[in-house]
Amino acid sequence: MIERMVLQASSYAASVDGLILLITVLVGFWFLMAEGVFFWLIFKFREKPGRKAMYITGEKKSHKKWISIPHGLVLVCDVFIIIGAVKVWYNVKQHLPEPDYEVRVIGQQWAWVFQTPGPDGVLDTDDDIQTVDKLHVETDKTYHFKLESRDVIHSFSVPVFRLKQDAVPGRSITGWFHPTRTGTYDIQCAEICGIGHGVMAGQIVVHDAPEYASWVSDNAAAQ
Amino acid sequence: MPFALLLASAVVACGGEPTQGIARGGQLFDTCAPCHGTDAGGNQHLGAPAIAGLPAWYVKSQLDKFQSGARGMHPADTAGIRMKSMALALDLAGDVESVAEYVASLPRVAQAATVVGNADAGRAAYAVCSACHGVQGNGTEALGAPPLAGFSDWYHAVQLEKFRDGLRGTSPQDIQGATMRPNALTLSDEAIADLVAYIQTLQ
Repeated sequence: MIERMVLQASSYAASVDGLILLITVLVGFWFLMAEGVFFWLIFKFREKPGRKAMYITGEKKSHKKWISIPHGLVLVCDVFIIIGAVKVWYNVKQHLPEPDYEVRVIGQQWAWVFQTPGPDGVLDTDDDIQTVDKLHVETDKTYHFKLESRDVIHSFSVPVFRLKQDAVPGRSITGWFHPTRTGTYDIQCAEICGIGHGVMAGQIVVHDAPEYASWVSDNAAAQ
Repeated sequence: MPFALLLASAVVACGGEPTQGIARGGQLFDTCAPCHGTDAGGNQHLGAPAIAGLPAWYVKSQLDKFQSGARGMHPADTAGIRMKSMALALDLAGDVESVAEYVASLPRVAQAATVVGNADAGRAAYAVCSACHGVQGNGTEALGAPPLAGFSDWYHAVQLEKFRDGLRGTSPQDIQGATMRPNALTLSDEAIADLVAYIQTLQ
């Protein structure tokens, strides 16, 4: 459902969407139920000739059940949400699958700078390729990114990957993604980082294997 | 500033184009002021040079280069990248011209000398530069060479280093940069300091 609005282009995008959908359905159900009961009670106990307003303390069991029963059911729903959230959080943030490639992502006011392995496929060697605003990756490969900031706090956000991670000055934060769909997608900064925050946009270009090899070859030579 | 830009955006959203000119340039300049200063006198700590009184043609040419990616796209050019992004905020037709006109209208802000060098040694080296930038460092529009006299000396030094080290002037679209780069290639740090010290004596 969410994919109709924002594509899913990473291995964990569907699980993040599933969690958001689960929360939306459960919270939405209880919201509608609560509002429905609220307006039903307003209607049922509306002013009528010969009936006076009455203060009730809510101590009777017949009154309390309107709170206690939904409360218990909401807690049951919370358990489902917590289980789902922990599973997704563990998969996206706690667990690091073995990488095919490493890249470095550097946030600065107000652009993204990327360091990608050159033909040797290894980061931090002489043939690395540095780019501004565009990160080139290969589809169906697992990437570790090392996220850094040159100045203030930024947040590396790739909506189609359902990926968002803060970049903190002085730290190198490792995360991962696994692109599953070729194409060019938006990168944005999701943390207010100064007057140019709104124009701190980039793109991630997901190539198929031959196209990526060609890009690496062309750009390693150009560095 | 935010109110002015919000107002301008609202006007555009309602279907009306803002009237371009020096008044709009002044409004848009509020976006530049946090780094360049409200008087456009520059801020060395932010790598933002003094720009008040620069000719409009030069301001426009540089904003065009930042927008097109001819400048500010080297991964190590931190200040250039910052400026590249901010230039993209001038997205309506005529915005660049309006800001350039406004900047050109501002009175120059006196710049203290910050680079220590041997001005006498720099005088000889400047002979090469004078072919484009003029004997008095007043610039030559026809050659796309900006005035140097009276502007931030630290900025001149930084830019010469960038030209020398390939952080600027390597884009095929940057014709003037491509001219500057070979002239800077042979300069040592000391030669740059001497050259800039001499430029600082020109008024």
